[in-house]
Amino acid sequence: MKANSRKLGIAGVALVGVAVSALLFGTYANGELQEYDGIDGRSYHAEMHDKGRCRSCHGVKDPEGYPADDACLLCHEIEELVAATQPQAEEDRWQNPHDNLHYGEDVPCVECHGEHSNKAPLCANCHNFDYSAHEY
Amino acid sequence: MTKTEYDRGRRRFVKVVGAAGVAGLAGPRLAGAARASETVWDESYDIVIIGSGFAGLAAGIEARQKGVENVAIFEKMPYFGGNSAINGGLFAAPGTPLQAQEGIEDSVDNMVADQLQAGRGVAYEHLLRHIASNAADALKMCEDAGAQFHPYLQQLGGHSVPRTYQTTVNCGAGITQPLYRKCKQLSVVTRNRCRFEKFIQDDAGRVVGVKLATRYYYDREVSEGETINVKAERGVLVATGGFSQNIALRSAQDPTLTAEVTSTNAPGATGEAMLEMFRLGAVPVHLAYIQSGPWASPDEGGFGYVSNYSIYNFPHSVAINRATGRRFMNEIADRKTRADAELANRDEQGKPLPPILVTGYSEAVNHPSAKKVLKYGVGWKFDDLESLAREFEVPLEPLKAQIAEYNGYVREGEDKQFGKSMEMAKGKLVEPPFMVVRLWPKVHYCQGGVEINVKAEVIDSTSGRAIPGLYAAGEVTGGVHGVSRLGSCSIPECLVMGISAARTLAGGAA
Repeated sequence: MKANSRKLGIAGVALVGVAVSALLFGTYANGELQEYDGIDGRSYHAEMHDKGRCRSCHGVKDPEGYPADDACLLCHEIEELVAATQPQAEEDRWQNPHDNLHYGEDVPCVECHGEHSNKAPLCANCHNFDYSAHEY
Repeated sequence: MTKTEYDRGRRRFVKVVGAAGVAGLAGPRLAGAARASETVWDESYDIVIIGSGFAGLAAGIEARQKGVENVAIFEKMPYFGGNSAINGGLFAAPGTPLQAQEGIEDSVDNMVADQLQAGRGVAYEHLLRHIASNAADALKMCEDAGAQFHPYLQQLGGHSVPRTYQTTVNCGAGITQPLYRKCKQLSVVTRNRCRFEKFIQDDAGRVVGVKLATRYYYDREVSEGETINVKAERGVLVATGGFSQNIALRSAQDPTLTAEVTSTNAPGATGEAMLEMFRLGAVPVHLAYIQSGPWASPDEGGFGYVSNYSIYNFPHSVAINRATGRRFMNEIADRKTRADAELANRDEQGKPLPPILVTGYSEAVNHPSAKKVLKYGVGWKFDDLESLAREFEVPLEPLKAQIAEYNGYVREGEDKQFGKSMEMAKGKLVEPPFMVVRLWPKVHYCQGGVEINVKAEVIDSTSGRAIPGLYAAGEVTGGVHGVSRLGSCSIPECLVMGISAARTLAGGAA
């Protein structure tokens, strides 16, 4: 993972993020939208937004569209995300957003997470789960 | 041209070289299918499958197991499984191991007879017979892939015997996830965000490929990737499901199905591949027969938690009109009868007044979803009728009288009000504490679609013969169920016809 990231010039700060993501997951997912240099972005990615590092996620300097579906996974390990959101109760075991009943680990991140705007999680199509941090 | 793509398998960006841009930048859209002679191919497979629900996944597995080398499944949505991944996971089949274990006598003839009755005279018996004959094999395919089912059978409305399996997770995802994993194991190529645009035909009219818009974002309705031409050496299988989420199309068929009626379906169920098959000449069958689920809740989206909860609880519950405090239907009548009765629940201004389903709490909680129903605020527990009536603004005295009257029917074993079969309500009084959910029908299933034969070949409306190279399976096809599909009969249909299509394409018998 890290070798690939370096190859692509991903900011080191994101790697630090991975290291503490399990610990701080709540805070991490709740990062507020703030304005950086003309664009809204999540506060936990401040370093990238401040320095206009669009390429980190989008792969190009001046992106016109969304990043690749798995761009987030260049820095974030799916296994760690799954572990961080694993429900405690057995009856809720299939409600892990990162490894869920309907689609397993395969839901592209952007289907639930909005980096530049608020976004309803995918499950809100059918369920009233409490993901209030998403502010949709 | 060179572009950078993210390789999911290797989890890194890779440079890929292709001629993708050339054909993708083609000028004005052609009216019908594109012509092969003008096409630059970007990719080529033996079999191209459009859609990744039950039918597409089963076809992928069967094709590989029959020795077809290159099989690809293209999915419009960001994730795999289609509507199949969010349904109830109920699977009817005759002559299964569980029936043998429970000593239930059943046969292909029995199952077909039940379905013909629900089809009200216009269901296609030859297809029903083919599906029922192969349903137990399809069930085995699921189990072999790792699907797990409850160790008991259920008897759903309209079925003469218990023959319905259900996944242990009470959801179709208990089948799509194992089948999807099996497809990956078998090296079936699976690609998300690829929206089918049109068919590509050769000069003789054979379907030889498809045009796909890549990196498609359904919520924004934009494709951020190139449009690619994908060659299908043996044929194209359309397994794209129904069109319940296409409000214009469904209300053109049935004007009662306006935006006011929502849908249980995944947002991708919009029917564009079906329309393109009609453009090629496929026979449109039964498009106006669109089924609404009377067990759905207006308090959550889609199928949610309430649907399965209600299906289980209807036999021992009362559905109450909130304006009158009285019952208004047989709670286990067929789906159409109940949906129509629910839609007639209106306030004085004619706005929807969703009826309530009242169940004795001690019975209601036996359903595996009951806890979730309460936890997520889509159902509520009440200690007495007074608080229940206050919450839903139901006139108390008529409600009290209705519940007492109904409990009399439970004791007597006869529903003098609506003729409901009280067999399954035996001993299950509607008594405090109560559990309540609200009901409002949701568009659930399109019985109509393109005509196919038992080999899953799509029939041409002019010649009456199969359109070469074009196959379809599952909800996108029409005629199988006639007017009204019985619950738990879609999963066997999708799987069996997906398997049949793969066998045809692999060159064997259907």
